[in-house]
Amino acid sequence: MDRKGNSEKKLDVFGHLTRWFTLPKFFFAAGLTFFLTGVLFPFYWMITSSFKSYAEIGSRTPVYWPSSFRLEAYRELFDPSHPEFWNFGQNLLNSFKVAAPTAIIAVVLSLLGAYAIARLRFKGKELLLNGVLLVYLFPAVLLMIPLFAMLTKVGRSVGFSVQDNLVVLILTYLAQTLPVALYMLTNYFKSIPAEIEQAGLIDGCSRLGVIWRITIPLSIPALTSVAMYTFMIAWNEFLYALVFLNSPEVFTVPIKINMIFNDPTPRPHVVMAASTITTIPVMILFLTLQRFLEEGLTAGGVKG
Amino acid sequence: MAGPANEDARRYLFRRWNSIHARESRLAWALTSPTALIVFGLVIFPAFFSGWMSFHDVSLRNLSSVFSAPFVGFENYVDVINNWAFKFHSLRSWGAAITSVVYSFVSTALTVLVGLLAALILNRKFRARGLARAIFLFPYIAPIVSVAFVWRWLLSPRTSGVLNDLLIRMGALSAPISYISTRGLALIIVVAFTAWRYFPFAMLMLLARLQAIDSTLYESAAVDGANGWQKFRYITIPELRYVLGAVFMLRLIWTFNKFDDIFLLTGGGYGTNVLPILTYQFTFKSFDFGKGAATAMILLGILLLFLLVYLLFFVRRGET
Repeated sequence: MDRKGNSEKKLDVFGHLTRWFTLPKFFFAAGLTFFLTGVLFPFYWMITSSFKSYAEIGSRTPVYWPSSFRLEAYRELFDPSHPEFWNFGQNLLNSFKVAAPTAIIAVVLSLLGAYAIARLRFKGKELLLNGVLLVYLFPAVLLMIPLFAMLTKVGRSVGFSVQDNLVVLILTYLAQTLPVALYMLTNYFKSIPAEIEQAGLIDGCSRLGVIWRITIPLSIPALTSVAMYTFMIAWNEFLYALVFLNSPEVFTVPIKINMIFNDPTPRPHVVMAASTITTIPVMILFLTLQRFLEEGLTAGGVKG
Repeated sequence: MAGPANEDARRYLFRRWNSIHARESRLAWALTSPTALIVFGLVIFPAFFSGWMSFHDVSLRNLSSVFSAPFVGFENYVDVINNWAFKFHSLRSWGAAITSVVYSFVSTALTVLVGLLAALILNRKFRARGLARAIFLFPYIAPIVSVAFVWRWLLSPRTSGVLNDLLIRMGALSAPISYISTRGLALIIVVAFTAWRYFPFAMLMLLARLQAIDSTLYESAAVDGANGWQKFRYITIPELRYVLGAVFMLRLIWTFNKFDDIFLLTGGGYGTNVLPILTYQFTFKSFDFGKGAATAMILLGILLLFLLVYLLFFVRRGET
């Protein structure tokens, strides 16, 4: 009796399983697993590898889990008393010095520009918007060459150096990000009803007053998204920094990681530690502000 | 002296100057000019200047007096086209032009395909879907330098490389392969990396369109007895067609222009030298700015050709 009941129950479970685990569901689960492992494994490898020792790096087979969480690689990056000190803190600071102003200036300028395009009537509006979108078409390597030549020329006559000049980087990043920022904000402003602002105008606010008191508070999400988007572009950018920066003390993070990677002594765990430090802030920003950002991504693409 | 007529004209001019329309458009120009100035000065003007440079002999020597560089006509273009690294030689050695075109088409197709699969997965309702969606975006968000170097380590030619280790354990390989420094294989790796890194963009765009498809279409198809594949083939794909085309075109342009990915993965070696990398080498390795500019202009020319074909065939047909 008892046995029979048991086997019936088993059959039932099996039957339940087959009914639940249909072919589409199998494909779905397999696909999801495939994507999750494919996406996450490199990041897993990056983070765990940053805790490995030189012995684990040099072993014959890969070490999938470090034997203990050593901070050796991080000390090499940040600890001045370490014999192989890389002064990576300075590079993080440089990247921040480039990315934060880029983000702030991009938000302010695109806010003003987008407001004008969305709300005011003037000649040349379409031309402006379309001209600005041309940026999408021009390859970064194409703009690189004339920019380098122009800025060298201007620099010689005005008296600044193009090389190792973080301001030059900020300007070029602005040129790359402003069009997308402008486009994103214009679309956003068009979605806010203009009546609210008209009420403000009738009450005697000036245009700038309206922008400050009404438009900005209403568009905090979009502004955050623009700020994050430009910050990320400036933080991740590689080519312009590679061309414009020469000395390691002004390197932004991507160029410094490239330098550590190309060091004659291979130290992949240090590269991974530096990558982890660089990637984590971006990931945290992204996860906390995901909803805002996705809109920006689809509106502009990271242009890359 | 100032007659009444003059006074009138001045008043008229002042009124026009002070009219609502004029004030509005002045304000508009004041608000947009910083952006317009930066974009014009650092994008539009340089783009034309690049064209100018491609017809002149500009090197490191005369860079500071670039406007007096000697005019050389098409010499730079001829140099580039006859350059060993640019030209097609044989099926084993494609040269940068053909490699660029093949690389960008194949990797864009793969990117869009993988993005479509991801979008279809995320279009189903399941627990933690928002989290999965965020995770899927990681490759696209992360700094290129970090992910490229992780890949290089995973693909290390030694037995300590993860891919080598896995394939040897499974018995598919007896000795480790050096993926990144083998002709052919290197190109495949670069294509795979591009698809891995950029599929999230295609996914987001396609997902947005998928979620906008009217669900009654599927319901009525189900009433008519359509199976899952038929629904996908006759409803989903037609609904997605224009987004697929647009995403393909955008990604194609960006992939064709892209420098970092290949530069960081292979440095442009082993049959992966593409036009952006060749441009960089001419300009900042041999310091021949004119030749670099000519290469970049050829790159832009091919790009415009793609765009023209797309506009003629895709968009036109879409309208009718």
